[in-house]
Amino acid sequence: MDNVKQFETEPQAVPKKKKKNVSLDKKKARYGWFFVAPFLIGFFLIYLPMIFESIQFSFMDTSTIPGGGLAKTWVGLDNYRYAFLENADFTGKLIGSVKDLLFKVPAIVIFSLFMAVLLNQKMKGRALFRAIFFIPVIVSTGIIESIDLQNILASTQSSMASFSEGGSMQTTTNVGTQIISLLDVQEFFSSMKIGQDLVGYVLWVVNEVYSIVEKSGVQMLIFLAGLQSISPAIYESCKMEGASAWETFWKITFPMISPMILVNTIYTVIDSFTAQSNGVMTFINDIYSQSKGMVRATAMSWVYFLVVIVILAIVAGLLSAYVFYQRRD
Amino acid sequence: MDKTKDTVKRDPSLLVFDEKTPFWVKLRSKYLTTYFLGKVAWKVFRFVLLVGISFVILFPYISKISGSFMSREDFVDVHVRLIARHPTLDTYKAIINDNHYWESLFNTATLSVLCGVVQMFICSIVGYGFAKFNFKFKKILFLCVIFTMVIPHQSIQMAMFMKFRYFDIWGIYGAIAKLFGSTAGTPAIASLLNTYWPLAILSFCGLAFKNGLFIFMMRQYYKGVPDELEEAAYVDGAGVFKTFLRIILPMSIPMMVTVFMFAFSWQWTDQFYSSLFFKDVTKIRLLTNIVSIPKSLDTEYASKTLYETAIRNTCGLMILFPLIIVYLFAQRTLIEGVERSGITG
Repeated sequence: MDNVKQFETEPQAVPKKKKKNVSLDKKKARYGWFFVAPFLIGFFLIYLPMIFESIQFSFMDTSTIPGGGLAKTWVGLDNYRYAFLENADFTGKLIGSVKDLLFKVPAIVIFSLFMAVLLNQKMKGRALFRAIFFIPVIVSTGIIESIDLQNILASTQSSMASFSEGGSMQTTTNVGTQIISLLDVQEFFSSMKIGQDLVGYVLWVVNEVYSIVEKSGVQMLIFLAGLQSISPAIYESCKMEGASAWETFWKITFPMISPMILVNTIYTVIDSFTAQSNGVMTFINDIYSQSKGMVRATAMSWVYFLVVIVILAIVAGLLSAYVFYQRRD
Repeated sequence: MDKTKDTVKRDPSLLVFDEKTPFWVKLRSKYLTTYFLGKVAWKVFRFVLLVGISFVILFPYISKISGSFMSREDFVDVHVRLIARHPTLDTYKAIINDNHYWESLFNTATLSVLCGVVQMFICSIVGYGFAKFNFKFKKILFLCVIFTMVIPHQSIQMAMFMKFRYFDIWGIYGAIAKLFGSTAGTPAIASLLNTYWPLAILSFCGLAFKNGLFIFMMRQYYKGVPDELEEAAYVDGAGVFKTFLRIILPMSIPMMVTVFMFAFSWQWTDQFYSSLFFKDVTKIRLLTNIVSIPKSLDTEYASKTLYETAIRNTCGLMILFPLIIVYLFAQRTLIEGVERSGITG
């Protein structure tokens, strides 16, 4: 039996082998398909149909049949009309979330870059600080995030300072205001004769410090990875030439890390758009559980997705003009 | 002699030390320079800043912990801030007994370990494929990975629910069933709700939560691995798969731990998929379901909202507790892994 099999397969195998011998690289390249196979199967069998159905659903009205199953009726742009014209809150929330993003993204990126540079320096207790700084990445997601959204416990407990000073109980909204009194900051900045808008922005950042710290964990990791990949030889030669730390940062670190700034900005945009605490996301989730809400929520989230894509394209286009890529051989 | 003293006064760096130099001159010339003082000032500033931000991060957890030991009298007492006057373990006991804590913990642990391990291996395999092989359509397929990263799962949640409620591939089974005269509105192989299958399938295909990011991270890591390493293995007679299993995988353990930690902990605290796929609490209870006010605790008291918030926070704390332990063990490898990843554009 074995002999027969061998005899049968041999004539076929010889010409094939010749073909493969033409290029070993191509032969190896074919193995790539095996490695990406899990993703391919999933993408084409499950993901694409889901996307397709989801787009379909946004043009439909559905109702469950008593026997089990789903009845679909084509309603055209009805769900979209509902989102823009009938629902009072949707457009407002959408604009609000885009505005929020414009404020938050620069703050998060700058803060995480600054912290990454700090945590990259050699000092005592670095491992401990790093461990603390990455706690939010691991912990503050999903259910914990939604518990924290309506958390008055921390603010009540931290309002000790204002209690003892004013003599009356004040509940403040978050920890940030406790650490630096907003009034002090405002006075400080207005005495420095800086524009009102910038003062407002800084005040907002101080106010939101917790949510900014919480959101910048992954970005910090990405920046740290980038900082590690800069060759120490460059810094050494800089020191030899007599550059100060300030110059070294702007002339070496900043250009070298600029691709990471692009990656991080894009990641931050995606992350804050898809976060559970995002206003539009919670709004869509609320709509989802209403009657007729499933299709409407789907339509809304597609509108939302389009907005995200447009913003991503603008951000990526603007930033990539300034990104410096080190040429590697 | 006087001349040298003058020059030294003008420029302390010209000072020459010998055995006769008094101690305090040595001290002053070493520590009273702008270089040294600037360094100290920077160190102090850095330390204060880091401690301050660490406090901002840790304070919510401190307040959660302190709140969890308080009895309801403490929430009315204006003198009580962080340390309870009537410490009690009632909140913990009530949550464990009333909210089925151990059962949920077991289920969530199983699910998270399953998802974490599967995603870790699948993302490494797919990432390796994208990093080291030049097959056709590679760029387009990698764009598909980015595509899955950008679309939030919330926007396809209805389609996802339908997919696993009436599980079928491309409607093939449905078409066959209709041919044989099935009367069901939407014929399907099975309903996969309230089982681990939906998340397992998504993990096996690298489509679960943020798997696009994991694939991207693994690809960047493998791109940094020199080709010579694999070529040496090929020369020694190992095939592509053997090289991957014996050389590449053991090498990338720090990176894989990172991916595992992310996948594991994001699944652990996940709310979206739990509420989407596990609607029936009586079948599978997950840790997200324990966040509620236990019946045995009487919250009808003066500071009801505060007390209930504290209870909910205690629930959160109990969800986090096992996660924090895992994090403490893995954090060093985690940070190392990300540092080595070189997510370099």
